[in-house]
Amino acid sequence: MRLQHDDLHTLTGCYAVDALPDDELEEFERHLAHCGSCAAEVRGLRETAARLALATAESPPAPMRARVLAAADRTRQLPPITENRPARSGPRAIRSARSARRARRSYAPHSAWIPRIAVGVAAAAVAVAGVFGINQHNTQQRLSAIENQLTAARAHNTQIDSVLTANDLHLVSNKTSAGGSVSAIVSLSQAKLVVVTSGLPALPAGKVYELWLLGPDNLAKPSGLLTASAHGRTVPVVASGYVHGYSLGVTVEPAGGTLKPTTKPILAMPLST
Amino acid sequence: MRSPQPDPGPEEGRGQTLEGLLAQVARGDHAAFEAVYDELSAPVFGLIKKVLRDPAQSEEVAQEVLLEVWRTASRFDAGKGGAMSWVLTMAHRRAVDRVRAETSATHREQKFAPDPVTGPDDVAEAVEASLENQRVRRCLGGLTELQRESVRLAYYGGYTYPQVAKLLGVALGTVKTRIRDGLIRMRDCMEVSW
Repeated sequence: MRLQHDDLHTLTGCYAVDALPDDELEEFERHLAHCGSCAAEVRGLRETAARLALATAESPPAPMRARVLAAADRTRQLPPITENRPARSGPRAIRSARSARRARRSYAPHSAWIPRIAVGVAAAAVAVAGVFGINQHNTQQRLSAIENQLTAARAHNTQIDSVLTANDLHLVSNKTSAGGSVSAIVSLSQAKLVVVTSGLPALPAGKVYELWLLGPDNLAKPSGLLTASAHGRTVPVVASGYVHGYSLGVTVEPAGGTLKPTTKPILAMPLST
Repeated sequence: MRSPQPDPGPEEGRGQTLEGLLAQVARGDHAAFEAVYDELSAPVFGLIKKVLRDPAQSEEVAQEVLLEVWRTASRFDAGKGGAMSWVLTMAHRRAVDRVRAETSATHREQKFAPDPVTGPDDVAEAVEASLENQRVRRCLGGLTELQRESVRLAYYGGYTYPQVAKLLGVALGTVKTRIRDGLIRMRDCMEVSW
């Protein structure tokens, strides 16, 4: 679609408030490159839009601060642009706007989850080290392995995140009698835990690892099946219904899982601190 | 020199303007980034939440934007506008991208029909807090109804102008000019320097 210049000029307002559909956005940005007065007007209208934005200011939840700062801590910054650029004119603004849009488009849709999860895990690490006096270095190493694992599993992020943003996380971890280890990041306030594993032996076809929440009076609540993921790990599972005093059990069951354990647990790990 | 305006030195920038802080951030200064976070997090989160409505999703997008400020601080160009406007432009664009990515063609009508934006009270509710906000409200009040609704649906609602035209039942060209006229009148009303 080819628009007249006058038409294009009236789009400064729409452009400043991101109201242009994609096809017209491309065209308007080409126009901006040659229209100094348009670029100046867009600048002014964006300042105005920013004032509209300030009227909506609202503090985000407090835990977001630590997450963002920690994410910044391990995010490399873009270098400044050093090429010779024309001084303060339209074309430069356009080129920057375009590269900004390119950057936006290349941004992975859910990348922001990763720092959140990582921070949650780091918080758990600190909590665990504090509570048990565990050597901080080992804990960090162990958790950093878990963190990588969590990072790889994005599908469950929403659920996992809801657990990992709790402020009462603790971590328990143990080896199973069949080999490998199971870790749980537990939140009492959320009554949930995230279960991750490392090095569990591969099972023959038709068998699956099943998780159980074990409580008083032989309670065994089916709490999810483990699905193998990369590097000898399993996809993180969120188990809910945790109550202080419960343990985590793992058994080998027929594919699809069962409602009650049918084999001797390879792990029964107390979850409470 | 990176920027057409004098770049504050490593000491001078600290504790000064947002622009000065961003220059510090571009050099990897974490303390400056904390200060930037404290100044920007509420406007960024508030704006995104205004557009997206969902608090959890808004938090996620706000985190992305604030991390992007850290990552791209060296690309901030004071010659192209203020730092607050640079960041809020980014925040608005991200929020709008999110809205449009999630609005599939099939659900568009349903999604738009019932609850576009609630009414002038919606703005009033958000703006009571400060003098700045009162000024925004006063200036919004000075627009014609069509200008105000067009600006509001486009900016706070995150709609494209053809969508705004459909919601208001007016011609495309009318909405285009009303958004621009409305913003220009707002700009003059609030005496934005540019």
